[in-house]
Amino acid sequence: MKEFLDGSVLSVVEKHMNANGNIKELAINFLLYGALAEIFARKTGFNRGLGGSMHAFFIPFGLMPNNAIVGASGPIALGAALYKRSNHKKGIIVSNFGDGATGRGPVLESMNFASMDQITKLWGMDGKYEDGGLPILFNVFNNHYGMGGQTRGETMGYDMVARLGAGFNPSQMHAERVNGYDPLAVIDAVTRKKKLLLEGKGPALLDVVTYRVSGHSPSDSSTYRTAEEIEAWKNADPILAYKTKLIMGGVATEAEFDAIKEDIVKRMTEIMKLAINDEISPRMDLNKEPDAISSIMFSNQKVKSMDPTREADMLMPKEECPRVKEIKGKVRKSKDANGKPVSKMKMYNICDGLFEPIIDKFYEDPTLIAYGEDNRDWGGAFGVYKKMTEAVPYHRFFNSPISESAIVGSAVGYAMCGGRAIVELMYADFIGCAGDEIFNQMAKWQAMSAGILKMPIILRVSVGSKYGAQHSQDWTALCAHIPGLKVVFPSTPSDAKGLMTSALEGTDPVVFFESQRIYGIGEDFLENGVPEGHYEIPFGEPDIKRKGSDVTIVTIGAVLYRALEAAKILEEKYGVSAEVIDTRSIVPFNYEKVIESVKKTGKVLFVGDACERGSVMRDMASNITEMCFDYLDGPAVVVGSRNWITPAFELEKSFFPQPDWIIDALHEKIMPLPGHVPTANFTDIEKIDRSKKGL
Amino acid sequence: MATVVIMPRQGQSVESCVITSFQKKVGDTVEKGEVLFSYETDKSSFDEPAPVSGKILAIFREEGDDVPCLENVLVIGNEGEDFSQFVPKAEGDSAPAPAQEEKVEVKEEKVEQVVATNESATSISPRARMLADKTGADLLKAIPTGPDGRIIERDVQRLVDMGLTVSPAAKGEYAQAVEGTGINGKVVLSDLSKAPEVQAVATQVAPEYEDVKLPNVRKVIAKSMHASLSTMAQLTLNASFDATKLMAMRASLKAGAEALGLNNITLNDMVLYAVSRVLKNHKDLNAHYLDDKMRYFSNVHLGVAVDTDRGLLVPTVFNADKLSLNEMSIAAKAVIKDAQSGKINPDLLKGASFTVTNLGSLGVESFTPVINPPQTGILGVCTITRRVKQVNGVDVFYPAMGLSLTFDHRALDGAPAARFLKDVCFALENFDLLLTK
Repeated sequence: MKEFLDGSVLSVVEKHMNANGNIKELAINFLLYGALAEIFARKTGFNRGLGGSMHAFFIPFGLMPNNAIVGASGPIALGAALYKRSNHKKGIIVSNFGDGATGRGPVLESMNFASMDQITKLWGMDGKYEDGGLPILFNVFNNHYGMGGQTRGETMGYDMVARLGAGFNPSQMHAERVNGYDPLAVIDAVTRKKKLLLEGKGPALLDVVTYRVSGHSPSDSSTYRTAEEIEAWKNADPILAYKTKLIMGGVATEAEFDAIKEDIVKRMTEIMKLAINDEISPRMDLNKEPDAISSIMFSNQKVKSMDPTREADMLMPKEECPRVKEIKGKVRKSKDANGKPVSKMKMYNICDGLFEPIIDKFYEDPTLIAYGEDNRDWGGAFGVYKKMTEAVPYHRFFNSPISESAIVGSAVGYAMCGGRAIVELMYADFIGCAGDEIFNQMAKWQAMSAGILKMPIILRVSVGSKYGAQHSQDWTALCAHIPGLKVVFPSTPSDAKGLMTSALEGTDPVVFFESQRIYGIGEDFLENGVPEGHYEIPFGEPDIKRKGSDVTIVTIGAVLYRALEAAKILEEKYGVSAEVIDTRSIVPFNYEKVIESVKKTGKVLFVGDACERGSVMRDMASNITEMCFDYLDGPAVVVGSRNWITPAFELEKSFFPQPDWIIDALHEKIMPLPGHVPTANFTDIEKIDRSKKGL
Repeated sequence: MATVVIMPRQGQSVESCVITSFQKKVGDTVEKGEVLFSYETDKSSFDEPAPVSGKILAIFREEGDDVPCLENVLVIGNEGEDFSQFVPKAEGDSAPAPAQEEKVEVKEEKVEQVVATNESATSISPRARMLADKTGADLLKAIPTGPDGRIIERDVQRLVDMGLTVSPAAKGEYAQAVEGTGINGKVVLSDLSKAPEVQAVATQVAPEYEDVKLPNVRKVIAKSMHASLSTMAQLTLNASFDATKLMAMRASLKAGAEALGLNNITLNDMVLYAVSRVLKNHKDLNAHYLDDKMRYFSNVHLGVAVDTDRGLLVPTVFNADKLSLNEMSIAAKAVIKDAQSGKINPDLLKGASFTVTNLGSLGVESFTPVINPPQTGILGVCTITRRVKQVNGVDVFYPAMGLSLTFDHRALDGAPAARFLKDVCFALENFDLLLTK
């Protein structure tokens, strides 16, 4: 209590409440005050008021965050259970949610994920490791309503929540339906489930039948139910009934209950008054402490191992790992000493650049786990994890079901418990399937916990090409828009390795964009090739890939290589010297290098494969216009993909930015090039017309 | 055989001439002596007559082209005649090859177009604006090459390279006229729109101003005048003399001109004559100041400032001190006439050792003439006014002619300059005595 948030919660209850020197009394006051102050968004709350009324939690007691998104705790609890299982920790996880949340995909995905066969059938690896199921209890407080919708008889079809268990595994998740109005029955049921879970027979499901007498929220006028119904449930009040039972059984007297009630009313009144007192429990003053929130959006720490006390579970020494051996024989640049291109088979590529720091971290950090679809034997759809199966045991590296919400959400829970995870979504287009988990969970909990939680998660997403409208999208803008996420997009093997190393050393959530166009590309820029061993490329620092003096081309991702082609044409055909800057990172981003370049050239284009409207390029162009206005010789121009669906591979050149487009944009918007005949239309008239049509 | 017409060399110092207009086009039939095209040097303009009769077979240049002297301009001959041997060779930028000719044409056309748009609302990039502020480039002369007629950095850089800049004073005017309300006093659009409403009304009637490109002559005058004032230590002394005798003499010369076969000798001729004589005794003013040395001239080469339609020209009367008054009058008239008609030989527009300028006919009573460097002085002749002086205790009126001498204090001091002025006054007051010398 003394150490929690530097004693700021404790000092209020110590100063303003009398616990008569009793530590238990003090602890009760502490817990109630911390929670209430948080609910009223006070700086003295458990999360400095940043979690707020819908998210009160207290990690030291194992009380994990409440979630304002219905069902979002499902995957988080799954991740917590994974943490226990993968790190050989004792104990169980209880995931509480309402019956309304059983309609949520992430909850159902989590139940399935927790039930997957491999946990009991493969993870043991023939006795090498334990082989029990996940120690998680999905505990449904079945109060019959999700806000106003009645789950039984209206919005669901399962009749009883407990029947869900039959859908997930042969043991039907040991599902039980229990009278939630009988505390003793609930205790019995939970005791039975706990035993099962500790025996490695999880997951389990409880359908605790109960009722919500008051409304869902202050605006709830209970139009969806009758007064008689509420009255009938009130008459069966479980607290009164239990009290009567205890008195009848001679366990306690009426007077003792009166004393308990009096104490509760008195304590709650006192604490409530403290919690709403602006002097004792002030809100954060963002005028006096303007950085109070800024300083906790990211934890920005460097932690080599999230648990330095343990050895990492691995199947063989690193040097014996077949992939490590394979990479050892590779040429670490794209051309050999004679300037001849290295054969694809022998060339160290971006996949290798990603793999090296990941395998290193597997040996260094015992908490690191990696999963996603087709990760293990396939080696990831694009081969980044190729031949890693031999070295990493199942419980640290496995194939997940096709459940993007559960994949990302469980990583959030895993990180909340103190682990580090790399999860993969295969295609960036699947970000939508894990929207809430990425945008509301992964991004927010560090700050919503007032910096108490760390979120060392790397979410690998791959930008496709060739596979049409739903497999070719660069969604960096979506991720960059959400505060709390770091976003990077390397385009060379050395950058991929350096940025992955930084991501793995860090404690912040990173959306790591990769491009399928260039996984196989070699190192073109570093004279001595991709450095061996450990090195980091700090997030936020763009890199000048080509020096120039007349125009600046800023690129995001794989378009770098098309920009370099454009630069070559500009030089050879028009005598224009282009400087090409690879952003590498998107959040955070240091503009200084770009500003310096623009001050020199006065002309700047931002190029990327994302659809142009609302893209990161637009954002950067706008910022550069603000910061370099007086230095600009023309508008900061954006060259992105058309605001269309991605057409078939054969038509992609009409959709993704091409070298010609970059030259055309320069010619039409900034500096006409004598003799140049543009093919792409960047004129204002065209732009207005397209915009009118929503294109 | 076809006849080629070249750009003539007008004076030894002329390297190239600008074609101002073509009077004939390809396919036209011309008579010998008909004007083919007009062209100009820094200071003069000329018409080029057809050397032979025939058809215009080809024109290699365009209006506005700066053509090196002695290079081919056009070909006259018979229909269908071969003129390929006259097509300028691709050698440097002076003579584009036929293959490149088209390209050059396109380029020039484009310049013409944008000049037109420049007169209406022209936009300018912030970077170009910054460069213009820094260098003082004269944006009115910019040829925009950016998209939609925007002036961009390279256009301003071109102005700087060509030396087309605005004086700090003019920039000061601009700064005073507009009060910036943006960050750090930056002039923002709204500041510019704060012009008085009266002006806005006026603009509905007629445009506020008209931009006319400076002819070469004006550019040269501007440059040399500005250079003169900014590099020399000039000051002006004013004096006057009794012109009674001078005027009487002028009257008698006029009366006897026909009988004696004299030229129409003017007061100005007489001043030139007097100056050419007095200068011989004041070598500091019959000299060139050449930074590290003085060049004293043995003879007097008198520059005569002439007001022409094209601007100020100063032709030279060489060896003026050797000419009689009548010869002086003839020589001066000749160069003045040539200067006014624009046909003056450019070689006559330089080499003067001292200059006389006359604003007297315009009623100016005194002024500060500007020295034509590297000369060390210039004498301004002013109008004649009536003044009073006491003669034997009686007030009498007399015609007083003003003289304004500007001299370069780097070359000589005030006293010697004043002595020269005094001597000129004495010579003119006693012109009869001077003539007898």
